[in-house]
Amino acid sequence: MANHKIKNMAERKYQKVYTSNPVADADPLTKERIAVLEHYIMKNCLWQFNSRGWDRRKQNAGILGKTAQLLCGEPVDVSVPLEKCYWVDAVMLERAYRKLCPWLADLSKDDIKALMQLLNARMDWLTIDGSLNQELTVVNY
Amino acid sequence: MPYHEFEVSKVIPERKQHAVMKGAGEDLTSCLPLGYLNTIPGSISERGCAYCGAKHVIGTPMKDVIHISHGPVGCTYDTWQTKRYISDNDNFQLKYTFATDVKEKHIVFGAEKLLKQNIVEAFKAFPDTKRMTIYQTCATALIGDDIDAIAQEVMEEMPGTDIFVCNSPGFAGPSQSGGHHKINIAWINQKVGTLEPEITSDYVINYVGEYNIQGDQEVMTDYFKRMGIQVLSTFTGNGSYDDLRGMHRAHLNVLECARSAEYICDELRERYGIPRLDIDGFGFKPLADSLRKIGLFFGIEERAEAIIQEEIARWQPELDWYKERLRGKKVCLWPGGSKLWHWAHAIQEEMGVKVVSVYTKFGHQGDMEKGVSRCGEGALAIDDPNELEGLEALDMLKPDVIFTGKRPGEMAKKVNVPYLNAHAYHNGPYKGFEGWVRFARDIYNAIHSPIHKLSLIDISKDEIDAGKGFQTRRMISDEGLPEEIRKSTELREYTGKYDSVSALREKTYPEFPRAEAGTEAVAE
Ligand code: SF4
Repeated sequence: MANHKIKNMAERKYQKVYTSNPVADADPLTKERIAVLEHYIMKNCLWQFNSRGWDRRKQNAGILGKTAQLLCGEPVDVSVPLEKCYWVDAVMLERAYRKLCPWLADLSKDDIKALMQLLNARMDWLTIDGSLNQELTVVNY
Repeated sequence: MPYHEFEVSKVIPERKQHAVMKGAGEDLTSCLPLGYLNTIPGSISERGCAYCGAKHVIGTPMKDVIHISHGPVGCTYDTWQTKRYISDNDNFQLKYTFATDVKEKHIVFGAEKLLKQNIVEAFKAFPDTKRMTIYQTCATALIGDDIDAIAQEVMEEMPGTDIFVCNSPGFAGPSQSGGHHKINIAWINQKVGTLEPEITSDYVINYVGEYNIQGDQEVMTDYFKRMGIQVLSTFTGNGSYDDLRGMHRAHLNVLECARSAEYICDELRERYGIPRLDIDGFGFKPLADSLRKIGLFFGIEERAEAIIQEEIARWQPELDWYKERLRGKKVCLWPGGSKLWHWAHAIQEEMGVKVVSVYTKFGHQGDMEKGVSRCGEGALAIDDPNELEGLEALDMLKPDVIFTGKRPGEMAKKVNVPYLNAHAYHNGPYKGFEGWVRFARDIYNAIHSPIHKLSLIDISKDEIDAGKGFQTRRMISDEGLPEEIRKSTELREYTGKYDSVSALREKTYPEFPRAEAGTEAVAE
């Protein structure tokens, strides 16, 4: 029987990043925009629901980070299969967002990045740090 | 927390944390039931055991294998007629069920000898089948039978045979889900990497968490083949034992039922660097997006797009015919695990129904996260319900139809709520574009069947209005529909065949030239 050693044990130890909803203090327009972006993900996507917290952190950062790059017309790293897989979900999200949110076209690159960063924080809160799911901190698959 | 307390469960106060009603502004940080915990004593659960999850759900859909239960014959109950994971080799794994038939005397004196005798007998009876899986059960685990040692002995004595041992007795987890986990991990530890597969395409996937219920896998594989993708293995529906030993060579794991098979995808990602791509094979938009994603990954999105256009042009008018007649119907989506989130959003968007409740027998909180997110406000989410809670919920929510397993389904029928089999389907397959229309047709037939009114008439005392004539589904469903829909020449009922799967087995597929050896296909 194969004896598999877990390589990333340190990162599997749960570390909280957010202690409250990071969107709570945003202005009403930003809140409204984040809600639309979040709503689409929660209804249509599955990538945000990997079973463990450390994977969710990577998924959120990987896919939303690449979506932000795509929305800003910047090059995206697809050099290794894992990155390419994030890119695939990011492309789908970017297309949906462009259709759903015509106002994105009027935002500057910096504004898009700031908004996507806040969305990333919100998703981390919703699916990891604020989540009631007790299995996220289990260290094995 | 918007917990929902059932009247019938007030005597089991712990149950309160297992049901929530999603209110306005609620999200996952405030609204999520507990899950994947041991069933509370006193609550008559609808769950299966960990052996059942390992064998009957995940192991047995493998098609070219002798599957033996080592235990009392009763453990094999869920085999012949209760499962519908068909296969293209004349359903070998469904037709032949093996058990060692352990009796009291074996519990006293040990059952290893009996096991060995059964293994040898089975291999001799089916000389063409050289692969076997053996499942531990409660009784044989408790007496400490060493299945591994016996399997090893036989493999040495019968060269050419290969045996997989699954140590997941019934008590090894709170529900069948414990068994899903155990067999995932056991398979990757024992078997993945023990055989080098032949690679025939530049685009190679494992299709994971797919059990070929009424042909689902064959429908999906048809799309993949039309795209020139090699499906190296399917974990496990219609899957081959030896193909599954070569899972480590795929470029991508396409994951359908994350509940039962995400573990092996996560391990393959970590051990072999194969990415995990979650998809939905149900619903036009989710399925189209899934095919696009796979296409994007391999840089062949145009092949996916061609299939999507063709399939949607063929099936959309039929889906819409049903959608017009299902609008606003209330649905209780009460499957075992993953379908609560696979279906929750898609049936509302594409069939016009409203999901008033989701429940899961063996799902984890992760499944409820997906389910609660995907259904709307006011939906009642229940974890591991008992029968009385189910009845109370039906009484409170008054759904038009419920999608569940056959045991709770029969109970629903008794209170005059039509039921569709969410696990094994009624007239599936339900995956694929055509499959989604077949599902819509089944829902339509369930809700609008005249039998529900007739069944309420008590012929021993009720007056029968003989002058009223009979009713058909169409008369019931079209009452109140606008004329342009009733008489639409664009919309039409399902026109597919009774059997939508067998023809796929005869199909030939286009040859796509491969990139030169040594060059990798890259995404644009
Ligand atoms: S709980 Fe134990 S005895 Fe019952 S079916 Fe499962 S393995 Fe067999």
